[in-house]
Amino acid sequence: MNSADPAIDVRNLVTHYGTRKILDDISFQARQGEIMVIMGGSGSGKSTLLRHLLGLHNPTSGCIRLLGKDITQLDADAMYDLRKNMGVAFQGGALFNSMTVGENVELPLREHTALDGNTIRIMSRMKLEVVNLAGFEDLMPAELSGGMIKRAALARAIVMDPRLLFFDEPSAGLDPVVSAELDELILTLRDAMNMTIVVVTHELESAFKIADRITVLDQGRILMSDTVAAVRASDNQRIRSLLDRTPRNEAMDPDEYMERLTREIF
Amino acid sequence: MLPSRRACRRLDPVLAFVAQVGQRSLQSLREVGYHAALLAEAFYWLLLGRWRRQPVRLRAVFKEAIGVGVNAIPIVALASFATGMMLAIQGIYTLRTFGAEGQVVLGISLSVTREFAPLITGIFVAGRSGSAIAARIGTMQISQEIDALRVIGINPVRYLVAPLLAAMLLTLPALTVLSDLVALFGGALYCAGELSLPMGVFFDRTFEVLIVQDVLHGVLKSVIFAVIVTLIGAANGFNVSAGAEGVGRATTRAVVLGCIGIILADMVFTFLTSR
Amino acid sequence: MDIRIEDQPPFKVVRLSGDVDLHSSPKAREAILACLKQKSPLLVELSAVSYMDSSGVASLVEGYQTAKKLGLEFGLVAVAPAAMNVLKLARLDKVFPIHASFAARLPAT
Ligand SMILES: Nc1ncnc2c1ncn2[C@@H]1O[C@H](COP(=O)(O)OP(=O)(O)OP(=O)(O)O)[C@@H](O)[C@H]1O
Ligand SMILES: [Mg+2]
Repeated sequence: MNSADPAIDVRNLVTHYGTRKILDDISFQARQGEIMVIMGGSGSGKSTLLRHLLGLHNPTSGCIRLLGKDITQLDADAMYDLRKNMGVAFQGGALFNSMTVGENVELPLREHTALDGNTIRIMSRMKLEVVNLAGFEDLMPAELSGGMIKRAALARAIVMDPRLLFFDEPSAGLDPVVSAELDELILTLRDAMNMTIVVVTHELESAFKIADRITVLDQGRILMSDTVAAVRASDNQRIRSLLDRTPRNEAMDPDEYMERLTREIF
Repeated sequence: MLPSRRACRRLDPVLAFVAQVGQRSLQSLREVGYHAALLAEAFYWLLLGRWRRQPVRLRAVFKEAIGVGVNAIPIVALASFATGMMLAIQGIYTLRTFGAEGQVVLGISLSVTREFAPLITGIFVAGRSGSAIAARIGTMQISQEIDALRVIGINPVRYLVAPLLAAMLLTLPALTVLSDLVALFGGALYCAGELSLPMGVFFDRTFEVLIVQDVLHGVLKSVIFAVIVTLIGAANGFNVSAGAEGVGRATTRAVVLGCIGIILADMVFTFLTSR
Repeated sequence: MDIRIEDQPPFKVVRLSGDVDLHSSPKAREAILACLKQKSPLLVELSAVSYMDSSGVASLVEGYQTAKKLGLEFGLVAVAPAAMNVLKLARLDKVFPIHASFAARLPAT
């Protein structure tokens, strides 16, 4: 890959769940070492976009290039190799409940490398140190608090030193101190490892703190994909209402409204 | 496309019924296809995983074998013992009307090895492990653990289903042979009391009438049952989408469909091989 | 990655250069542990390291702990920025004895 190429390059992505169109003509780029925040109201398609970036679904059309490779065209072997360079921390953590925290963090190394057992153990403990969970490796995920689960999931996501890190809702449901710590951690990771990081969030404060660039989604379309300053200065009404936390006051079509309320009755 | 269920309700009830039958059969067909694909994929990883750099680990197979096989020994043994006795009681009762109690050994040994041992083992493993497989995979599905496996680069079928399938294929035949022995022992014990037939004589006669094929018949069935229980359990687990309630439904479904699958497969297999 | 082992009495010196990653770090680990097995104090020189991931750092950690157990000196020399960032991430820059250059360590002996 040429170092000038974007680490993430999404072009004209269209996706459906069943027959319902969820994402429509999504295009954006992120450079290596950049933190890209994906924002948008509830149901705007953030998680769906993330799942497509992770190659968990096949899009209807469009292409998604990660580290120069189009994952919509990639064969299973190449995808397998690419996944070693990707780390993902899911919103709910998605730790394996049948394994201890330590085993969770070690799993990618055990599956993908032939490293010595000691090296693997030291590496996973180092990552637990990084997320401030030192000494918790023998606990089961069920014994952790919500914030600890998020951090353990992050430790597992970065244990292979990936070049791409995806993080869904790092601060949702956490107290302000812990979520500020997580933001700090995301910045540190980028600086130390030059990771490209995609963060899905609807916490404005956290988004502005960590983002290099922000992509704003609204009803499956991109409103804007630009620098923090540009997003802040935007006078697009939808973006303003998201930033100023004003409720949406959309124009109402009375006929359509009545039709919705009485559909299939008359 | 078929009309949606809500649209159906507004149509003529007969038409709605037809549409629903159509929808159901289409869904069943899709489900059969899904099971077949799952089976093919599990075997693919078992055979070629090492070459694709994703081996099925022996340790995982071993662990599953303990769970589905070794831990099932007490319950299978108990059920087999009771079945053997029950067969002896019924056999003697029935044959007495012809004054042919002496033939009971033949009846017991054939029906145990060809029919009852594999069936009892299969049903009990379906009840114990079919539900456990569906519950485990279903829970992993709703907590996004399956997605986590995929993004780590671990194929869920290779990691979760292939070791189970291998363990089932190894332990179910072994459990069936164990069930053979225990059931025969149960029968022999009853005969010893009721007909004063020494146990040694019972087993001598058993081995006289049994040919290898009878035992093999039962063991072969158990191999088929192993595949059925694993696939139905796993498929129902992977298809969970609706939270904890969905997991509950999937486990029930795995047991019911597993048992029915076993009995139907048994019938077909027996029909095809015993004519 | 390239490994060179030199003698700078009383030290043995392991010079790592290039990328110390998941593929190459086992070799670095072996070299470090082998030197320590010969009961000689060890310096690991990292000035030409272009990239080091945490498997490389883990190998250094294991080496340091082994040296401590054997009562041998262990130090890092001229740590390249690429490696330093990773050490800092795990706060190991405060743990390892780190020398700016050989000159900084050698005259003292
Ligand atoms: N598995 C699914 N099947 C069908 N539709 C889905 C599925 N998941 C999401 N959707 C639909 O896709 C749309 C976008 O959902 P998505 O989860 O991507 O939103 P989001 O931006 O992440 O919202 P939130 O901030 O609330 O998490 C929603 O309208 C939702 O109904
Ligand atoms: Mg979401």
